[in-house]
Amino acid sequence: MRYLSKPLKEIHDAILRNEVTPLDLVKEGLSYVGKDNNNAFEYICNKEAIDAVNKLDSSKKNSLLYGVPIVIKDCFSTKSIPTTASSNMLSDYIPCFDAEVVTRLKNAGAIIIGKTTMDELAMGGSGTSGRKGMTYNPWDKRRKHIIGGSSCGSAAAVSSGLTPIGIGSDTGDSVRKPASYSGLVGFKPTWGRISRYGMFQFASSLDHVAYFTRNVFDSAYLLNVLAGHDNKDFSSGYEDVIDYTKDLSKSIKGKRIAVIKEVLDCCSPKTIECFNKTLDQLRVEGAIVDIVSIDEKILKAIYPTYFIISSSEATSNNANLDGLKFGSRCEGNSFEEVMINTRTKCFSPLIKRRFIIGSLSLSKTHREELFVRAQKCRRLIVDSFNKVFEKYDFIYCPASPTTAPLFKGYNPRFNGDVNVADNYLAFANFGGNPSITIPIGFENNMPFGGNFTAKPHFDSELLNVASILEKHTGLMNLVKENE
Amino acid sequence: MDFEPVIGIEIHAQLKTKSKMFSSAPVSFGDRPNSNVAPLDIAFPGALPTVNKEAIIYAIRVCHALNMKIDDLLVFDRKNYFYSDLPKGYQLTQYFRPIGKDGYLTLKSNIFEKKIGIERLHIEEDTCKQIHEADYSLLDYNRSGIPLLEIVSLPEISSGLEAQKFVEEVRSILTFLDVSDGKMENGSLRCDVNVSLREKGSNKLGTKVEIKNLNSFSNIQKAIDFEIDRQKSLLLDGKKLKQETRRFDENRQETVLMRVKVDDVDYKYFTDPNIVPIRLSEAFIKKAIEDMPELASSKHNRYLSYGLNEYDANLLVSSKEISDFFDEGIKTGVNPKSLANWVIQDVFSYLNKEDINIKESKVSALNLCELISFIEKNEISNKQAREVFAKMTISGHTAKEIILENNMSQMNDEKLLSEIRLILP
Repeated sequence: MRYLSKPLKEIHDAILRNEVTPLDLVKEGLSYVGKDNNNAFEYICNKEAIDAVNKLDSSKKNSLLYGVPIVIKDCFSTKSIPTTASSNMLSDYIPCFDAEVVTRLKNAGAIIIGKTTMDELAMGGSGTSGRKGMTYNPWDKRRKHIIGGSSCGSAAAVSSGLTPIGIGSDTGDSVRKPASYSGLVGFKPTWGRISRYGMFQFASSLDHVAYFTRNVFDSAYLLNVLAGHDNKDFSSGYEDVIDYTKDLSKSIKGKRIAVIKEVLDCCSPKTIECFNKTLDQLRVEGAIVDIVSIDEKILKAIYPTYFIISSSEATSNNANLDGLKFGSRCEGNSFEEVMINTRTKCFSPLIKRRFIIGSLSLSKTHREELFVRAQKCRRLIVDSFNKVFEKYDFIYCPASPTTAPLFKGYNPRFNGDVNVADNYLAFANFGGNPSITIPIGFENNMPFGGNFTAKPHFDSELLNVASILEKHTGLMNLVKENE
Repeated sequence: MDFEPVIGIEIHAQLKTKSKMFSSAPVSFGDRPNSNVAPLDIAFPGALPTVNKEAIIYAIRVCHALNMKIDDLLVFDRKNYFYSDLPKGYQLTQYFRPIGKDGYLTLKSNIFEKKIGIERLHIEEDTCKQIHEADYSLLDYNRSGIPLLEIVSLPEISSGLEAQKFVEEVRSILTFLDVSDGKMENGSLRCDVNVSLREKGSNKLGTKVEIKNLNSFSNIQKAIDFEIDRQKSLLLDGKKLKQETRRFDENRQETVLMRVKVDDVDYKYFTDPNIVPIRLSEAFIKKAIEDMPELASSKHNRYLSYGLNEYDANLLVSSKEISDFFDEGIKTGVNPKSLANWVIQDVFSYLNKEDINIKESKVSALNLCELISFIEKNEISNKQAREVFAKMTISGHTAKEIILENNMSQMNDEKLLSEIRLILP
């Protein structure tokens, strides 16, 4: 019997019935993780997970996460467990503290069984740039399609049924896009709702803790565990934590949903066909669905704006990686030489490219033209979307124009040609909006998703609409097991 | 040709808050190296800054004392550069919006009175401490993240003496507000000065030379005066000055070249995205100011109102500890003039002799006041009181104990008369 491919509630019931023990679950998890052939793991917590389950406090038995093996993207600081962010720069870094998310998961009884691969330092959307190379999409046994990134390993682990929960991070679309490519629910709550303490910073003003589950209920439940103020994160919000599972079946009658025409126009026919079917389903539930327009210039500005802001913040956020204090070091005759040698050798060319672009954008000579202009663009973009939110409760579009692209021909470099549908999701990072991707269809046996986004702090309403649609599509608890 | 010096000063003061500016590690001096370090202080990935409220309150108070406009929106920026003492690769500071701006300080002495403008005061964090050995360097992160105030004067100072007075006055404010140790010798107060000369009457500024690492008040004056002479003689020789950074060499008593300035470093400033801007409420700022400890200038005026002369009042506010000692005594209701005399004559000479700080005095303010009260009640003579005081400085006992131990009580007239009556038939 395989448990970890089931929803949280079913796993929990099995534990309560004494049908399975947390130790059994962890052993099941570790055995499948050991057989993982998607390159989803940076580190497998063979010993740590068994220790943790042996020390599990049975008073936490009410938690749905009690004894549940989970995986965490390798950019979350885990005490005494190597954390590399898939970068050679941190290949021997062992943190001395837990990220707040990790603390809260442990407190809820979850057991970490592995740290998952990612694009190096979370910069990238392909799942190919980590120090261990490409991460594969479990839906494609021929290994031709990407799974997307940067949270590639967590997506692969959850969609191949190794665990019901994979923690990731989302700075542009790093959870919501791979969720689309791997048939998962990918959820990024409102900025500040979940503490970022201990999550390696990529671009702080855009970074969100986000995660993968296989159904909306599990996502809502996980928010109950992770949400809430943390005084270690100055950007953490103070709103009360409510029970996010409570309103999942509430009627969405009269809710107003906007579909952005320009995004839809860039999608494949099959995507549009499935997407339109979901619009009918939403209408059946009484939602009012309208097709709206946003200036294409604004939509096309999202990616370059994102690239300038994120690269600028990233170059500063990663300036701590200098070889002096922790992580890898290449020796030299002076501290400058140590820094230069270490950074030259340990960062991949893609990372250096971002740092150079970020540095240039912040430099005195280019600041106004690049960084300041990108900030202004960010404001314009957020304003444009807010205008839609004045009349609508949700924006709903395909989460990706197609199913997962091929490795071959995938170009991670910005070449000026922007597919709006491929790059619009970052608007929710600009505005800090809650945003969720759920599966809506298949093309050639590869899944793809739709994405709902709401106004900041409307996480509960967002989960509600996603849950209603999920019931209609029936596309939940999708698993593509390893062969 | 006649020249006038144009001098500006930058002061860095470490704040003695309980914890660091952006982390929860304690601020403590002289502890074992690397024992007061939070993840942020060594820049471990994922660590985030929080803002120390106490430091903000301190900064508001200093701004107020320096007559500055206080910005009610608190924003922090990143100053990006790579250096071995800078763990994050950037320093959190306030580049775009300093908490205080457009202030001034009035320097007063017997010879002159002058208002010096203060351009800005901002909050930032200290770097880690480097100890360089012959073939290796050690890094101590205890200092990393300690709150600093940077106070930048306008270039309105025109002599070494004025500069020294300016720093002394700032130090007095910092120490009376109890926000900083203000010790130049251990680096809790640091200052850099910019010196240039311009032709008298001209508006055109000359080439600026920066002097760093001035570690005592007298060195400030000496370094500046030396530098003025050096620049003057170069200019009179028709030579051109270079824009450079110099330091004061104590042995040679002169400034020596550290480096010639090339292009300005581009620090790629931008606002820190982790610290959301904080709106300081009017009530918060008001409360911070209302609860401020008393400044030297105010104490000085109060002492004059007690009938003390200018000279004595000045001596009593020469340090925070002395004025606190005096004020503690005043609370007992003792005659201020008597107390002032005792402090300035006897206590000072005792401290000098023992080479100790008033906080280490074996005679507390209360005990001293008790001694004075015995004199005023004629229980002991002035001469006896000096003997008692000497004994107090050795044993730390109270005046009463010493008088009893040594049978020193002087009969006053009333007692004497009644005893005589007893004896006489």
